[in-house]
Amino acid sequence: MSHTVLVCDDAIFMRTMISDILAQAGFEIVGEAETGSQAVEKYRQLKPDLVTMDIVMPDMGGIDAVREIVKQDPDAKILMCSAMGQQALVVEAIQAGAKDFVVKPFQPSRVLEAVQRVLG
Amino acid sequence: MSDAGVVRLLVFRVGNLVCAAEAERVREILPRLAPTRIPGAPPVVAGLVNVRGTLVTVVEGWRALRQPEPPGDAGPGTTVVLEVGRGKKVLGFTVDEVVDLLSVGGETLERRQALPGIDPTLVRAVGRRAGQLFVVLDTDALLTPILSS
Amino acid sequence: MDLSQYAELFLAESREHLSACNQLLLEWERTPANPAPVGGLFRAVHTVKGMAATMGYARVTDIAHRTENLLDLLRRGSRPATDELLQLLFRARDALETAVELSVVGREDELDVAEVVADLEGAAAHLAGPARSAPVAAPAVEPAAAPGGGRLVQVTLRAEAPLKGGRALLVLKRAQGLGAVQGVTPPQAAFESDDFDGRFSFRLDSSAAAAEIERVARGAGDVEHVSVGGEERRAAGPRAAAAAGAPPEATPEKGRHIRVDLRRLDELMDLIGELVTVRGRLNELAAARRDPAVDDVAIQISRLSADLQAGIIQARMTPVWQVFDRFPRLVRDLARELDKQVTFRVEGKEIELDRAILDELGDPLLHLLRNAVDHGIETPAERRRRGKQPEGEIVLAAVRERASVAISVSDDGRGIDRARILDRARREGLVDPHAEALSDDQLLRVLARPGFSTADAVTSVSGRGVGIDVAVTRIRALGGSIDIRSEVGKGTSFVLRLPVTLAIVRALIAGVGRERYALPLTYVAETVEFGVQPTTIVEGREAIVLHDRVVPLVHLRRMLGVSGDAPPRCPIIVLEMGERRSGIVVDGMLGQQEIVVKGFDPPQGTLPVFSGATIMGDGIPALILDAGGLV
Repeated sequence: MSHTVLVCDDAIFMRTMISDILAQAGFEIVGEAETGSQAVEKYRQLKPDLVTMDIVMPDMGGIDAVREIVKQDPDAKILMCSAMGQQALVVEAIQAGAKDFVVKPFQPSRVLEAVQRVLG
Repeated sequence: MSDAGVVRLLVFRVGNLVCAAEAERVREILPRLAPTRIPGAPPVVAGLVNVRGTLVTVVEGWRALRQPEPPGDAGPGTTVVLEVGRGKKVLGFTVDEVVDLLSVGGETLERRQALPGIDPTLVRAVGRRAGQLFVVLDTDALLTPILSS
Repeated sequence: MDLSQYAELFLAESREHLSACNQLLLEWERTPANPAPVGGLFRAVHTVKGMAATMGYARVTDIAHRTENLLDLLRRGSRPATDELLQLLFRARDALETAVELSVVGREDELDVAEVVADLEGAAAHLAGPARSAPVAAPAVEPAAAPGGGRLVQVTLRAEAPLKGGRALLVLKRAQGLGAVQGVTPPQAAFESDDFDGRFSFRLDSSAAAAEIERVARGAGDVEHVSVGGEERRAAGPRAAAAAGAPPEATPEKGRHIRVDLRRLDELMDLIGELVTVRGRLNELAAARRDPAVDDVAIQISRLSADLQAGIIQARMTPVWQVFDRFPRLVRDLARELDKQVTFRVEGKEIELDRAILDELGDPLLHLLRNAVDHGIETPAERRRRGKQPEGEIVLAAVRERASVAISVSDDGRGIDRARILDRARREGLVDPHAEALSDDQLLRVLARPGFSTADAVTSVSGRGVGIDVAVTRIRALGGSIDIRSEVGKGTSFVLRLPVTLAIVRALIAGVGRERYALPLTYVAETVEFGVQPTTIVEGREAIVLHDRVVPLVHLRRMLGVSGDAPPRCPIIVLEMGERRSGIVVDGMLGQQEIVVKGFDPPQGTLPVFSGATIMGDGIPALILDAGGLV
């Protein structure tokens, strides 16, 4: 059975690209969210095996969303999607409970490696 | 049209003339449809018809080729839908009847233009079918001036 | 991975964010003390950066990155906007826009960004102050000096690994799965610094084999080298507590949207058009059959196709702000350039129009707004002399009227000097040499003549006319109209009226002789009866007087060259386009129906009064009369 994924990013562009990379590798994209609060809500509904989470999003940022999701489910597997130069934010996200991170620009192989590490 | 090679021609009759058009320019052959008059357009334009949802301007063949008007008891006639210009536009052209679809070797067509009863600038070549001469029309030269720009 | 498939999405979404940047910058400019827009700016630029980096557009990424740095400093410092800062941010936004547009067409290299990049850097360095401009010295890695008990683990991350601090933290987290971690060197706080070089060490209190520790550490990814040393005694103090993150500010939730190519919508619209045509035929058949079962199906199909049609039309509807949003910036820049003071207001942003129409409106509105700033609004000094506020006002407003939308561009400037225009129009033979005055209508006709606005005219008639012929032509092509109202000293207002959609309209079907013509209801005000209404002659034209207003008549039969005589009593369809009216005399009314507007190639000589044609329920085409060509 393929793993289910929730993709969270405020840019459709990014969501499309991540979804394409993961879907081509056989993952099932079960949902998308464009704000942190949507991510928390969708996680509750969908219970995906994996979440990809953008850091900077309107409404509720990615790091707060990680905290909320981990509060609900300490085993949540969240992969942060970060940009160059967000060292401090990535550190904060990992402390909040994110399991790994990838850095934009995405290379499909790097994304898939990170996903494998997270799903371990 | 190359001198060698095979050319496919649709042969039809308009009044006293037997003419042909290159088959690759023919989109389809339809029974004559009742046209809607376009006010202001010259008499050579029969009007607008509906070809399965697309609006096509139809040119009255006998007027375009200066033939006598078909008698009232002549059958309904046929509309040949042709591509005009580099395939961008489509026009209908009414003929009295479609005679044949021919494949002829390019060498059997004569590059002759002077033929009684027809403007020489509209003639691309002359061919022969069952002993009868026919005119291969330059359909672009005939129809393009009717469309505005 | 083929990225070209994402280019269109990148472009569309970047444009949206950059348009939002404009709005936010203007907002900040209006209330410089309120730093609220900065958060939104930061997010928008950040998103563009991420997308551009993914597409491999280095210039966009570079400008965005530096702009983002500056915005981040501003955001953290909650600083008020200064004029200098705003100018720089506007410039950076414009550079980003150019870079985005050039990048997607593969011409990124043409762009020189050195200057704006340098200015952004300079501003950031200035803001950051000496404390931040000097690099933070990373504590030297002295593995041997690491305090605490357990086994010493030394890790080196790959040189090319991005965000090494995050990666190091992941190594530590994994190691914690094997036992307590202490004595992290450099201290964890250094992981957050950009200068962290990826070499660190810690003590792990674990009985796991060295190979197992190494495997776990490498599992975090991007690890170049791991060495696991022997046991040491002693335990260290607790780890530093994690820093609390600042809560991001709340913004309203965005609607859920997908993007659809307009061509797809056009194709769907064509199909619906076919369906509507066939539906008409089915209704006629059902009416002839008088079979209740067939009737039922016909009614159901009618209802379903009507819903489908409404849905598709709705999907094409786009709020006008998508075009209007770029104007505040434009007006502001132009006003600055010309040393005018202008307040610009936009009203009715949420009014919707068919996307195909909206896409065509940008240029005509641009012309009108440019004219308003350049020639309508006076200089502050001149305004004061005339007893006006030094600050002029320009209003761009959209209002829904029946089946059309009216968009107006109004200024409170000097108005058009009619005497001068009249003078010139008389000399050029555009009006009767004895004409005493120009009506608004005539004024527009004169101004809209291509060539009327020569350079000489521009100065002598305060420049009105520049681009007006372009605007009028464009609007007319969309089945709309333009009206002008102008009063000397008070201002000028242009009103554009446009149909809400081009694709399917409700129309009156009029009979003339044996021919049928469709007349969109968009501009039909009412119908009255000819032969009952008394007619008069006004300015040489036959007219009726309706509600105290003169309505000139157009006999369609005569105009279209239909032979035979009109019946003695017949309907007059009164068209109204803004201030202008016209009564169209037809033989009879054949009903009202939805028609699908289709184009056709008009042959030479076709009268310029048709906007297209439609296919009637019987499958026979009928021409559509263009109200703009009749009024």
